[in-house]
Amino acid sequence: MKRRALRDGAVTLAIMFAVFIVSLVLSYLLSSGDAVSALFVFAVFLVSFLTDGYLWGFISAAVSMLIVNFAFTYPFFHFNFTLPENIVSALIFTTVALLTSTLTTQIKRTELIKREGEREKMRANLLRAVSHDLRTPLTAIYGSATTLLDNYQALSDEQICSMLRGITEDSESLLRMVENLLSVTRLDGGSVKINKMPTAVFDLFDSVIAKLNRRYPDVKISVNIPDGLLLVPMDALLIEQVLINLLENAVQHAKGFTKIELSANPEGEYAKFSVRDDGAGISPELIPELFTGRLGKGDSEGRGMGIGLSVCESIVRVHGGRITVTQLSPYGTEFSFSLEGASYELQ
Amino acid sequence: MNCSNKYKILIVEDDTNIRSFIATMLEAAGYQALLADSCSSGLLMFSSYNPDLTILDLGLPDRDGLELLSEVRQKSASPIIILSARSDELDKVYALDHGANDYITKPFGSAELMARVRSALRNSLPRAEEGVLSGKFELDDLLIDYDARRFFMRGEEIKLTQTEYNIIALLSEHLGKVMTYSSIIKAVWGANDIGGTKKLQVNMANIRRKLGIKPGDNKYIVNELGVGYRMQSAE
Repeated sequence: MKRRALRDGAVTLAIMFAVFIVSLVLSYLLSSGDAVSALFVFAVFLVSFLTDGYLWGFISAAVSMLIVNFAFTYPFFHFNFTLPENIVSALIFTTVALLTSTLTTQIKRTELIKREGEREKMRANLLRAVSHDLRTPLTAIYGSATTLLDNYQALSDEQICSMLRGITEDSESLLRMVENLLSVTRLDGGSVKINKMPTAVFDLFDSVIAKLNRRYPDVKISVNIPDGLLLVPMDALLIEQVLINLLENAVQHAKGFTKIELSANPEGEYAKFSVRDDGAGISPELIPELFTGRLGKGDSEGRGMGIGLSVCESIVRVHGGRITVTQLSPYGTEFSFSLEGASYELQ
Repeated sequence: MNCSNKYKILIVEDDTNIRSFIATMLEAAGYQALLADSCSSGLLMFSSYNPDLTILDLGLPDRDGLELLSEVRQKSASPIIILSARSDELDKVYALDHGANDYITKPFGSAELMARVRSALRNSLPRAEEGVLSGKFELDDLLIDYDARRFFMRGEEIKLTQTEYNIIALLSEHLGKVMTYSSIIKAVWGANDIGGTKKLQVNMANIRRKLGIKPGDNKYIVNELGVGYRMQSAE
C-alpha cells in the first residue's frame, strides 16, 4: 500500500515536472503561453490515468492551476483568482481529474472482477472434476469397510485381505489427490505464497525417488543429474510434487514402457527438468486438454491424473516457467520445464 | 496389569480414530499405549507415567502441542515424535529445533510409524554428552572413530575434510534424529554464519559423492526435503 502511494507520488512529480519544463521551453520558443494550458490539462489527464484513486489527480489539478495561473497567464508571476479565464481553467483541470480518475478506477475494478470470475470458474471446474474423482475411491473404501464390519465372520481370510488391500490402495489414491488439492489451494487465491529457496537438485531427486520407490517398488526409474552441485531456487515441496505427478503419470499411463528417466541439466541460468518414458505416447488430440484438469474421468486407472497435470502446470507457472510435452520418436513422451536462477558448480 | 517391562508410549492426539489406530498398532507390537486427547491431559499423563516415548499431535484443542513439547523438555529428555500435516513446514522445523526428536507427516501407514518409533526408542539410549564424542560408532557398514576423527566404510578409510567429518559426526551423534539445516549450520560453523546453507549444500554433495550415495538410495544419510538431514540405518 505504502509502496503504491510512493510510486504514484513519484509518477505525479515526474509528469508535472516534465510538463513544466516543456511548457517553459515552448512558451519561450513560441513567445506565447497559448499551448501551455492544453499541456497542463494533458498532464492532469496522464496523472489521473496512471495513478490509483482520486488523490493524485486532484493534487496535479491544483498544482497545474497554480502554475498556469502564476507563471503562464497574465498577470505573469502573480496569482490572480478573479480573471474569468483563470476560473474556467481551474474548473477544467478539476473536471478532467475527476472524470479520468473515475473512469480509470472503474476500468480497474471491472478488470479485477473479470479476473476473479475467471479464477472462480477455474476453481469450479477443478472442484467438479475432483469431487467426481474423490467419490470413486471413497465409495470403494466405504463399501469395503462396511462389508468387513457387517460380515466379518462370514468372510474368508482371503476375502478379508483382498478387501483390506483394496482399502489401502484406494486410500493411497485419495491421499495423492488431496495432496494435489492442497497445492492448488496454496497457489490459489491470488496471493501466491511460494517459498523459494536454493535447493540442491540431488536432494530434490533423492526425495522424489525415495517416495516413488515406496509407492511402486517394482518400477525402476533412472536418474540423470550432472556431477557436482546444481542449485535451483524453488519451492522444493511444490516442485517435488510436480516431479512425482509426472513420474506417476508415466508409470500409470505410458503403455508398454521399458524405461522412465528423470533428469536435470544446467542450461546457462536455467535448469531444465524432464521426465521421459518410452511408452506408447499420448494421442495428439488429447495434448491440448492435458493440463486443463478435464482428463482422466471415467477411467479408473487415470483417476485424478488430469488434476495432477493441471497442478503441475500451475506450480511451474508460479515459478515463472512453462511445462511442455513432446512426443519422442519413435515412441515415448517427454514432459519438461525450466526453472530460472540455477547455479552449477563442478567440484 | 503388569507390564512394567514394556516400553510405555504416550499418544497425545485429539482425533479419536487416529488415537485408537495408533494405540492398536503399538499394542499389537507389544508396547503399552497411554492415551491423552489434549495438551493438559498429556502433561498430566507425562508426569504421572514418565513414558519412554511420546507421540504428539501439534493441533490440539486446548493449547498448542509445541507448548507441551517445551514444558516436557524442561525436565525430561524422553524422545518425542511430532505428528504434523504437510503444510506446516515451519512448525516442523521449529519443533525439531526445540527438542522434538522426529516428525511424521500425516497421513502415515503402520510401517512408517513403527519404524520411527523403533528408531526413536533405540536412539534414546544414553549417549555421550554433547560435544565430547569418544570411542567408536558403527552403523551398517560405516564406522566412525571419534578419538582419531577417522571415517571408514566397509573397512576402508574415506578421507573427509574437517568440515565433512564434523557434519557426519554431528549426524551420527544424533542418530535417527532429523537435524534441521539451521541446527547443522549452527553446530558446524557457529551461529548466524552467512552463506551457511550454501556451504552445507556443497559439503553434503561432497560427502555423498565420497560415500557413493545415489538419489533414492535412502541409506546412511537421509534427506528430509526442506527440513534437514538424518543419519539412520537401512531398515
